[in-house]
Parts: sequence; C-alpha cells; structure tokens
Amino acid sequence: MIKIVKRDQPSRAIFFLTPILAIFLTLVAGGIIFYILGFKPFEALKFFFIVPIADKYGFSELLLKATPLCLIAIGLSFCFKSNNWNIGAEGQLTFGAIVSGGVALLFYEQEGFYILPVVILAGAIGGMLYASIPAILKTYFNTNEILVSLMLVYVSKLILDYLVVGPWSNPEGFNFPETRQFSDSAKLPLLFEGLRIHAGIFLALAAVVISWFVFYKTYLGFQMKVSGFSLKTAKYAGYKGKKMIILVFLISGACAGLAGVGEITGPIGQLHREISPDYGFTAIIVAFLGRLHPVGIIFASLVVAITYLGAETAQIFMQIPKYTGQVFQGMILFFLLASDYLLFFKFKFIGSKK
Amino acid sequence: MNTNLKISNVTKIYPGCVANDNVSLEFNSGKIYALLGENGAGKSTLVKILSGVIIPDEGKIYLNENNLKLNSPLDAKKNDIGMVFQHFNLFETLSVFENLIIDSDQQRESLREKIESIMRKYNFSIDLDIPVLNLSAGQKQKVEIIRCLIRSPKVLIMDEPTSVLTEQETSELFLSLKKFSEEGILIIYITHKLKEVMQLCDEVAVMRRGKLVSVSQIKNENLESLATKMVGQNLKTIKKKKANTASDQLIKITNLNFISEDPFETNLSNINFSVNRGECLGIAGISGNGQSELFQVLSGEILSDKNSIEFNKNYIGDLNPQERREYMVAFSPEDRLEQAAVPQMKIFENVALNNFKSSNFFNNGLINEKKIRKHSKKIISDFNVNTDNIDLKSQFLSGGNLQKLIMGRELITSPDLLICFNPTWGLDVGAINYIHETLVNINEQNKSIILISTDTDELLKLSDKISVIHKGKLSKIMNADEVTSEKLGILMGGGN
Repeated sequence: MIKIVKRDQPSRAIFFLTPILAIFLTLVAGGIIFYILGFKPFEALKFFFIVPIADKYGFSELLLKATPLCLIAIGLSFCFKSNNWNIGAEGQLTFGAIVSGGVALLFYEQEGFYILPVVILAGAIGGMLYASIPAILKTYFNTNEILVSLMLVYVSKLILDYLVVGPWSNPEGFNFPETRQFSDSAKLPLLFEGLRIHAGIFLALAAVVISWFVFYKTYLGFQMKVSGFSLKTAKYAGYKGKKMIILVFLISGACAGLAGVGEITGPIGQLHREISPDYGFTAIIVAFLGRLHPVGIIFASLVVAITYLGAETAQIFMQIPKYTGQVFQGMILFFLLASDYLLFFKFKFIGSKK
Repeated sequence: MNTNLKISNVTKIYPGCVANDNVSLEFNSGKIYALLGENGAGKSTLVKILSGVIIPDEGKIYLNENNLKLNSPLDAKKNDIGMVFQHFNLFETLSVFENLIIDSDQQRESLREKIESIMRKYNFSIDLDIPVLNLSAGQKQKVEIIRCLIRSPKVLIMDEPTSVLTEQETSELFLSLKKFSEEGILIIYITHKLKEVMQLCDEVAVMRRGKLVSVSQIKNENLESLATKMVGQNLKTIKKKKANTASDQLIKITNLNFISEDPFETNLSNINFSVNRGECLGIAGISGNGQSELFQVLSGEILSDKNSIEFNKNYIGDLNPQERREYMVAFSPEDRLEQAAVPQMKIFENVALNNFKSSNFFNNGLINEKKIRKHSKKIISDFNVNTDNIDLKSQFLSGGNLQKLIMGRELITSPDLLICFNPTWGLDVGAINYIHETLVNINEQNKSIILISTDTDELLKLSDKISVIHKGKLSKIMNADEVTSEKLGILMGGGN
C-alpha cells in the first residue's frame, strides 16, 4: 500500500530535483499527445527536442532564444523573491524596445561607438519606466500589481502597433508595418559569421552574475528574502517596503527592457509588430522552473528555448502547428506545480498490515 | 449509571518522538480529572486518541468494559465521548442554531426544544438565531459544549478551554463543569495551568515527555508539588523588587489614536500613558481588544503622529521600527513564527533582522556574515538557546528556544525599553520561568518594559503598574499591588 505522508521539512534535494522530474513528465505526456495525434512518439520528440539543436546553427538559435528568456527571468526573480507579482514583463520588454528603437531611429544613418550604449541604456530606461507604473500604483494606491502589469502589456503592444504603422513606419517601406533599418552602430554585434547569436548574451550573463551577487551577498538581497518569506517580518524589521517594491520592479523592468533591445537591435535591426513571441510571459515559467536561482534560470531558459525551436521544426517537418510549443511550456509549468507537492509530502510504501 | 473509561497501554510514536509511551489511566464518573503537562508532554495526543482523531499504534480503550474501536471522530461521538477543542470548530456566518444542528440527523423542531431545555438547565443564555461571529469567545465555547450535550455524552473532554476566556467566563465554565460532573458526566480537563487544576479538579494525572508521571488526589497536592512533577525539576521562584518610584520618565504616549481601514482590526482611541525608568507597565486584556494594534503603533509598524510618542526626550511617533531601534527601543512581537522570526531562515540570519547601525551587520549594502555569526554565537550562549549550530534553521528550535533567541537578539544591545507582546505564549513552564527571570533582570538594571499580555498571572507577577485594554481603550493605570485578578477580569470584560 502507498501512503502519503507530510514531510517534517521541505526537502532541499527535492527542491532542485522536481524541475527535472517536471521536464521528464512533460516529455512523457508530450509523447502520449504525439501518439494520439498519430505520430511515432519517439520520432516526434526527437524532431521537437534534438533535431533543432543538432547543428551549429541550431545551437546558436537556441542561445538566441534563451538570451531574452534568461534576462527577463532574472529580472522577474527579483520581484518574485520579494513577493511582488510582476507578470507584465512582456509589456516592459515591448516598451523598452519602443524607447530604444526610437533612439536608434534618431541616429538613423549615423555611425559612432557611442550610439549602441545609448540605445541599450534607452531600452533599460524604457522598461523601468513601464515597470514603475504598476509599482507606483501598488505602493501609493494599493492596486493589485498582477492586474495592472498584465493589462499594461496590451497597452504597450497597441502603442507599438500604432508607431510602426503610423509615425515611425518606413517611408520607403511600401506600408509594411515596420520601421527603417537601424544603422550598424545601433546594432548589437553578431558573434559569429553566418550565425544569428549576438552580443546580447553577454547582457544576460552579466545579469546572472549580478543577480547572484545581489541575492546572496547584499543587504537588499537579504531584505528581499525576508519580505518573500513574510511581509509582516519585513515590516517588523523596519525595512522600507515601498522603496523595495519600486526598486525590484525597476530592476525587473530594466531586464525586460534590455531583452527588448536585444530583440530589435540584434539580427532584425528594426522595430516591427511582432518583436517577441511572448518571451515576457514564458520567462515567468523559466523563473519558476529555475527556482528563482540565477544558475537554475540559465538551465531553465535553455530547456524552454528548445520548445520554441522544436515547435518550428515540428511545424516544418511534421505539419504540426507551432503552437505546440506553448502546449509544452504549459505542461512544464503544470508538472512543476504538481510535483512541488513532493516538497511537502512524500510517498511511503508500507507492507500490508496483518 | 456509572461510567468507567479505561486507557490501557496506549503508545503512539511519531518519527523522532514518542508522543505517548505506554500510558494507562482509569477514570470514573462523578469526578473531574485533570490531565496536566507542558507543551509537548503528550496530553493532546492522548485526548486526540480518545476522540478518534488519532489512531494509536498500540493499546486499547475501554468504556464500561467495552473495547472501543475509535477510527474517526464520528466513532467517538457514537460512543458518547464529547470533546471541546481549544480552537473552536464553528461556522462563523451561520447562526448558533444552524451550527448546533449541522451534524445531527434529528428533526429541527425537536432539536430546538432539546437545545432550549439544555440551556435552561445550565443557565446558558445565548440567542440561537444570531450568527456565531457576533458571539464572545465564552459564548462560542458554550455553543461547542451544547453541541456535545445534545448527544448526552458519557464523557466530556475539554482541551485547554480557558485560554481565550476572561476570569468571569472561566468561573462560569467551572460551575457548569461541576454541574455536569454531579450529573454523572465524566469530565477530563486538559491544561497546563496549575491554578485551574487546584480550583476545579478532583484527581490529576501528570504527563511529561509522553510518559505518565503520576496520578494523585488534588487534596494531596499543592501548586509547587504539581509544578515540580510537571517540569521534572524544582523551579526557582521569581521575586520582583519594587521599582524605584522616584526615577525619570522614559516614554510618554499622548493622545495616540489609530483608525484602521481593516474591519477585522481594532481602532485605538486616545491612548495616554507613561513609563518611568526601571518600571514595568503591564497591559492586560482579552486577545483581540487592540493589543496587536497597540504593539504595532509602539513598534513603528504602524506610524502615528510624531508628537504622540515621546521617548527619552525625542519625538519618535513617525519613525519606523528600525529607526526606533537606534533610540534603544527593542520589540518582541507576539507571533514568533510569522513575525519575530522567519522559521525557514537560519539562526544567524534571524539575528540579522534586528539591525542597528552600530552593529555593522551590513556595510555599504553588503552582508557582513562574519560579524553576524559572531554576534549570533554570543546570543545563543548568553541567553541559553539550546543549540550550538547557528546554521540551524530556526524552525527546528522549540518555542522556548526560539523565544530565547528573539529575546536575546532584542536585549543583547541593552535597550532602554523592551516592548513585548505575549512573550511566554505557548511556552512550557521552564521556558516561561527563564523569560520571566530575564524580564525581572531588565527592570533591575533600571531599564523599562511595556508588557502586553493576555496572561493575568504573568502581569501580576512582573508589572509595577497595570492597565487594561478593552475595545481599543486603556483603563486608568493602577499600581500592581492594588489590583487583583478579579478586578482585572472585570475591566477586561468591559466593566468598571
């Protein structure tokens, strides 16, 4: 007989094992879904998870997709660790892209080493500005940040839409909804000839290192940890709650904004309608799959990035809609939440009693 | 008819602890039995076994020679064992009557008659048709008791019933229990309050660390002998010296108000008091009368008008807790696990929650772990926290040790004023004694204390002056040697 017993304390080993278990269960469930759809499960999973990254180009694409996911998830973990539920990273990404894109367009047909840093900075500031809206509303008007940050995503997308079909659209662009190409000085340099992976990956890696340092070595990190466990304790300790809420939102917005910069100043080099395949939302899954730990987030962003690539390969080779990728992302989150049960409970096998 | 309840060789083992170790006891109707023990002594486990909530690993229970199989609370009810838990199991929004009939399959009308006759018999006056949330704690407990009486139980078990009651309500409860006993209901009364045992019971069984230590007649015992049995060692008696009446004023609260936006909080109106150096001001009251709000206003979790709090000639009403600490005020909140400490964090991390500028725990925004660790080691040795591992998560400390850690953290900087809220709530006698000793020492060093507590005995023992909070208002401040627990009880209930 199997009995479910409460654990005396959440298991630390299980804490890091459940993400792996969740991925495994996702693969099993994915295989079953493919089987029901009439594909050979192993072959389909191979197309989904192995074929896309089997060559150099594929691997570069993997890093290209993982970069914004990692960057945003790192930013989000500042919020989530301190009990602030910013789910509007997609909007902060979009707005960061708009501001940095606008600055890049200002420097149209200009060259100079100073342009790129300004463009990058503009993106971070754009993201911060946009994230400051839910933060200020939360601290001073007691609004719910989940709702506000989510709704602002749609606002930012409409602003982008308006700009690329209206005032900012390319005068020589035959009314395509996109801006002019940025000058080369406003673009993040590509790292290898013929591959699309660009210098944005260094921003993500810098964010990983900095966040690790902040989380585990600084007073701010300590305050975030305490606030995450108990807001009552944070108040009792005398931490300036409002200041911290605003700070973590700004950090999170800056990261999302930088991800937006990477999307438009990377290989694409212009603003257009669809700058992000919902990286801002998917990064929430990445943050939790990585257990809000900087190193965990690196691995999680790679795993989730594969689902983007796999969806594309599957569409091409197996005629499965690419939205299957989202199904996989959803399943990962689902199984992760489900297997979190194991943190607090364990199965006990007991022999039948006489 | 006589009822005989027999517990025979009951053992219940949890991982890492033997909650009941081969316990055998016999009860007969007509008497009131006390089951006495510290927290964790195993008395709750034993009564949960009797009421079918827990199934023992070994042992048997006999009611009038019949071996009972108690696999669920329903089995206990069927076998005429009624139980009133420490925490009420009532639906707040349903009416009293609905709460009473909810687990019954009898006709509504006949039940109503039955309930009314029970109420008449025992002189309970509760409106059956108002929602339970409008009742006082004492009335809610009566509802629970009536719910048991409907089933005409042979055995009635009361688990620490007085923790939420006023003095008056307690004596009413005792009268009712005596009446039930005279009518042949077997009463088992679980408590760690020695005074109540002496007042109410006929026989006492003492448990310690899962074992039955002794069974004896109350008439052969006294407070000291019971305390010694319960704790297993002789306790030092704490004697408080009288405070020096001629000392300076340290803190003065003037016209302090707090109006909450939260309907479940209590508003504070026009609070005025002052505390001199070396003095302990006790604030009594039934929980939920504004103590928590008062604590938060005093600690700075709730800010107030700058001039409403004058401390050591500084106005600090608009400062947050961390800023107030710099003026040498320390705080020990009621909730150890959700406020004063973070159980999931390590001991040394919990120490860092109280952060003075001069303690240098954080330099230029960086954590100075070495410093915090050194400081933590000093606290656990100076304040007898029973561990030497400061990397231990604080959830593994017992309540007493955690409270010692918190007290140590607050006191190691020798603050001028300690504000504490129910500092011994839920602790065992040994730990309570230690905390009381610590508090007396603070006063002896000419430092002051504001002690907000729901434990009247504690207040009478430690305070120089006492006031009572009722519905967010403070009574006039009295000298502790002029008040009695009866007088406090009247004020706590809103009387004059």
